Amino acid sequence: MSGDHIHAEPTSFWKKHVFSVDHKVIAKQFMWFGLLWLLIGGLMAMMIRWQLANPGMAVPLVGNLLFSRTDGVIDPATYNMLFTMHGTIMIFLGLTPILIGAFGNWCIPLMIGARDMIFPLLNMLSFWTVVLGGLVGLYSMFVPLGATEAGWTGYPTLSTTVGTQGSGETLWALAVFLIGLSSIMGGINYITTIIRLRAPGMGWMDMPLTIWGMLFTAVLNVLFLPVIGSAMLLLIMDRVFGTTFFVPASIMSGASGGDPILYQHLFWIFGHPEVYILILPAWGLVSDLLSFFARKPAFGYKVTVGAMFAVTLLSAVVYGHHMFTTGLSAMLGESFMLLTMIISVPGEILFFNWLHTIWRGSLRLTSAMLFSMGVIFVFGLGGLTGLYLATISTDIFLHDTYFVVGHFHLTMAASSLFGAFAAIYFFFPKMFGRMMSERLGKIHFWTTIIPLTVVFCTMFISGYGGMPRRYYDHTSASYLAPLQHLNVITTTAAFILGAAQLIFAWNFVRSRWWGAKAPDNPWEVGTLDWTTPTPVPHYNFKEIPVVHTGPHEFSHPKLGDRDWISQTDKLPA
Amino acid sequence: MNALRLSFNPAKTLTRVLASSFALFLFSAGVSAQDVVNRWGPTPSASSYGDDFDDLFWLITALVSVSFALVVILLVVPLIRDRARPGKKASYDHGTSLHDKRFTACVSILVFVVLDAWVLVIAMEDLQTGFWNYPNPDNAATYKVEVLGQQWAWNFRATGLDGEFGTPDDILTTNTLTVPKDRPVSLNFTSKDVIHSFFLPDMRTKRDVNPGSVNIAWFEPVIAGDFDILCAELCGFAHYQMYGKLHVLEQDVFDTWEKEASLMAQAAYDKNDTEAHWAWEWQE
Amino acid sequence: MKRLTLLLAGAALSLGMTLPASDPLTVSEGDEHGHDSSASAPEGPHDRPPLDVVLDIHTDAWLRAPSEDWFEAQAELDPDRFSYVDDLLDIDGDTEGGYQDKLGEYELRYDAEEDEIAYWQYVSADQLTQGRRDYVQFCSSCHGFDGDGYGRSGQHLRPPPRNFTKPFFKFTKVPGHLLPSDESLILLVERGLNGTPMLPWALSRDQLNDIIQYLKSLSPEGVGWRDVYSEVGHIVESDGDPWTGREAEAIQAGQDVYHGTAKCYSCHPGYVTPEKLAEINGLPAGSMPRENFTYPIAKITENYEVQGVPMLLLPPDFTWQDVRAGTTPLELFETIGAGIGGTAMPQWKGSLSDKDIWAMAYYVRSLIETYKGHPEKRAEFMSSLRTGR
Repeated sequence: MSGDHIHAEPTSFWKKHVFSVDHKVIAKQFMWFGLLWLLIGGLMAMMIRWQLANPGMAVPLVGNLLFSRTDGVIDPATYNMLFTMHGTIMIFLGLTPILIGAFGNWCIPLMIGARDMIFPLLNMLSFWTVVLGGLVGLYSMFVPLGATEAGWTGYPTLSTTVGTQGSGETLWALAVFLIGLSSIMGGINYITTIIRLRAPGMGWMDMPLTIWGMLFTAVLNVLFLPVIGSAMLLLIMDRVFGTTFFVPASIMSGASGGDPILYQHLFWIFGHPEVYILILPAWGLVSDLLSFFARKPAFGYKVTVGAMFAVTLLSAVVYGHHMFTTGLSAMLGESFMLLTMIISVPGEILFFNWLHTIWRGSLRLTSAMLFSMGVIFVFGLGGLTGLYLATISTDIFLHDTYFVVGHFHLTMAASSLFGAFAAIYFFFPKMFGRMMSERLGKIHFWTTIIPLTVVFCTMFISGYGGMPRRYYDHTSASYLAPLQHLNVITTTAAFILGAAQLIFAWNFVRSRWWGAKAPDNPWEVGTLDWTTPTPVPHYNFKEIPVVHTGPHEFSHPKLGDRDWISQTDKLPA
Repeated sequence: MNALRLSFNPAKTLTRVLASSFALFLFSAGVSAQDVVNRWGPTPSASSYGDDFDDLFWLITALVSVSFALVVILLVVPLIRDRARPGKKASYDHGTSLHDKRFTACVSILVFVVLDAWVLVIAMEDLQTGFWNYPNPDNAATYKVEVLGQQWAWNFRATGLDGEFGTPDDILTTNTLTVPKDRPVSLNFTSKDVIHSFFLPDMRTKRDVNPGSVNIAWFEPVIAGDFDILCAELCGFAHYQMYGKLHVLEQDVFDTWEKEASLMAQAAYDKNDTEAHWAWEWQE
Repeated sequence: MKRLTLLLAGAALSLGMTLPASDPLTVSEGDEHGHDSSASAPEGPHDRPPLDVVLDIHTDAWLRAPSEDWFEAQAELDPDRFSYVDDLLDIDGDTEGGYQDKLGEYELRYDAEEDEIAYWQYVSADQLTQGRRDYVQFCSSCHGFDGDGYGRSGQHLRPPPRNFTKPFFKFTKVPGHLLPSDESLILLVERGLNGTPMLPWALSRDQLNDIIQYLKSLSPEGVGWRDVYSEVGHIVESDGDPWTGREAEAIQAGQDVYHGTAKCYSCHPGYVTPEKLAEINGLPAGSMPRENFTYPIAKITENYEVQGVPMLLLPPDFTWQDVRAGTTPLELFETIGAGIGGTAMPQWKGSLSDKDIWAMAYYVRSLIETYKGHPEKRAEFMSSLRTGR
């Protein structure tokens, strides 16, 4: 290891807290940033649910403030903007910064025994680039005609100037481009750091599974964000310079033009890996946390790594399942159907390993553990419903209905979010030096998982009933009016779910400043990050640790009274 | 928290109550599935291949329910049985034994075969015999319709009595499509502006309507009546209002309708108004 | 040297990949997705994406306001704001009286060139900008970015979307020689037009009002709302339905008016047998009114044109086509009373008594309710009218 010296800590306020190159500070910056945007995206979801349950009624409390021109009512154009920005914000500005930005940054150097990321300046730049992207997205809400309304997927020609005028859509594309750039920077950093800066003795198979999750996510980020970047650039060119990459001519005119389906291919070649980008960190974290809190080794470590690797490899060749109704050829469609079913197998193996990890363990049911087990529950439910959508003959009916919305919220939103919550409850003591309230955490868990299940399972029912998504009002079509009752149930549960997050918000804020002081290793876990003192000094490790043991050596028969061992210690002979 | 010196722990009790009600909720949801479907499920299938969807949906539901129930059991048993207690030791098992590897492999294969391959085979047959089994274009019994989607309406063109598109007797309708029963209806789609999607929930079919190219779909209605057409791809602020009606008529009633509609169309036809003549060459 | 070779090879490869052997975006004949694009037709006006759509209006507008009786009514509703002033205008020594608006939104002006006095309404550039933006967002796809009725989605539509640069409106329920009132336009947008892509749009009153002011401002100089000679009308009014509780009577009377006094069958279909028709009109039995009189006769109108081609309009067959502007007796009364502006359907208010128009409204509604949407019943009915079929 070259230059194992410790740099002096920065002294100025700006270098210490704002433009810091310390991965721990950047992690916390990403965390606050992501939590703020989760709040905004969540409020948008509440407004969407309000409109769906009470079509055409003024939004209480904030309606006249936000929507004064329409007497407090969300009008159809604003509604489209809300669900578009909800999707964009939650994925790009909420989950990605928290799971990958915050926990990638926090965990990687600490868990592999490094002082910092290998490119600290690039790390800082990646944070400020995502901030810039967020600002561009925020600004787009205030231009004439407002922010984009073309869905987070932004299909042309609706997203070209044919369907959407004004600069909101262009700014959205620019924001997504910038956010993508930030993730590419992060990805390069993570991959290189993991390859090059592992502490001596930490072989590939001695890394915590969290690191594997972060590694695979970073690989997918680096490979596929450029694809959506290119799609966004082409879209911007169509909108600003009048090119016709995605704008076709009318078939009646016979003139030549572009192809909107090209965008769909580009988008989903990124878009499907993106959902794995969001879930892989959660999978890695959950694989570790289940082991930590079951006091048992992670069952089938290598198989788990192999499963995550297989999912990473296959993620790009299944994307066509988003396009089954576009009129693609039968051969292409059936190939995507087969591949999508194949990619579910590694996921199932992961499940198997998780369940086997906790079986006959000694479960410490902390909030982090509950949320980790919650991931098994919601991802199981969501993942299994993927089978309906992978199967073309059922997808033809279910595509673009609420069935899909239920499916991806359970797999992408709920699972990743539960992974994020588990990580927050787990790492909070080391990050902030204080303990979060376990009592509030448990209440948070149960008051979240129950309404969440109600919200998204009713969506399966409405989707099966044929209720399309992205509709402003389901009562105007006589076919859908009987399903309106389901909307009311979903909204009620959604409001309870939203309110339950206040428990978490209160717990987080209160514990951050007034929580009980945390010991150095409250969870009695052996990974390298927990060998540091709390608060973690800016250099992380006084001396680079030497690794002798794996990360999941719990309840080893030779350990005696203690059921865990640090990675720097040797197992008794 | 127990400053009130209660005889029970409120937080523990609360979580237990919540957990139990959750379990009860899941159980009742499972039990009431049939009732749920009767009340909120789709209308009965009205096309020749519609039942394929319904049957496969329920097969998948059965498979998925069993799998999920298994997952829940494997979650709940450790939750209750394996909680940490003084003296409770976890078993030390990395899962690397040959037995474990074999077991994992067997389960994976089993899952793939039962959950995926079985469904795959059925789906492929459904596609080949139904959804993507387009009728022979030369078959005179096939009723052809050109669908021009736009923001925010469906424009339909039927051939009229002469069986040719682009002639004065083409029947042009907005948002209502009239077709005969028990004959294959073959559709061509394109859009004037943005991507839409033609969704017939009763017929269990859907196809995207793209600008700049022609998509095809087909169905055969087996029940006469009035059905619904919904748009299923975000197409602007009035996406939810893009709603049409499909009328399926018995053959003799349809013949009467078609004859009259052709005559009406001829009365309204203006050969000078070429901009109104939006037919395209039929695509298969 | 090796590196240079590799670099050149890489560059050649990427360049080669960007130059397709055949244009990948056109599709060959017979492709499931494609069309025959071998013909290189000239581009239509909507084949390229629109650039630089204007979203701001910088000039205020003065548009024609309603006439004196509207102000009279306003003065009674809001006397603090509107008041009659005897010597409001001074035209070469002669004084003209008129209504004054304290808020300055409305003004009575003398046009020296045309020697006309008229009321004008002020619309600010800000309001026009707001209306323009809403118009672009909600209306421009069919009605066009310039309000000429030829938007990308408005192509091929019959009836075509309204062209706002011309002062003709069909279904406002305001007589055609008058400009429609703001209220009539707002109601039209709120209710939509049956059977057309003009749906009932879910917009607020504020949005609708701004859009309407913007639409009015699209009148070219000297035309429509910028014409000093124009008069702004209002929805046709009635003193009330004289047939309440006597629907069957009304339908019978309506049938007589339709086929007798009004001779609606000149354009619309007739719905009685030729014998009955002769009886109603006091003509000898067996005289045929016109050939195919159970079918409508299409009429050309110069006022509505698309790309220079005047429109051929078909008067609806009430048992078959949709009646655009509503099918309640009141709505039918208003439509028949006002006529369809710019077309051969005249304003019947004044030519017929209100009672007769109400009767016809009931009769038309009965035709719609009995036969429309019931093809078998209708076929039976129509064939019974058609001699020799």
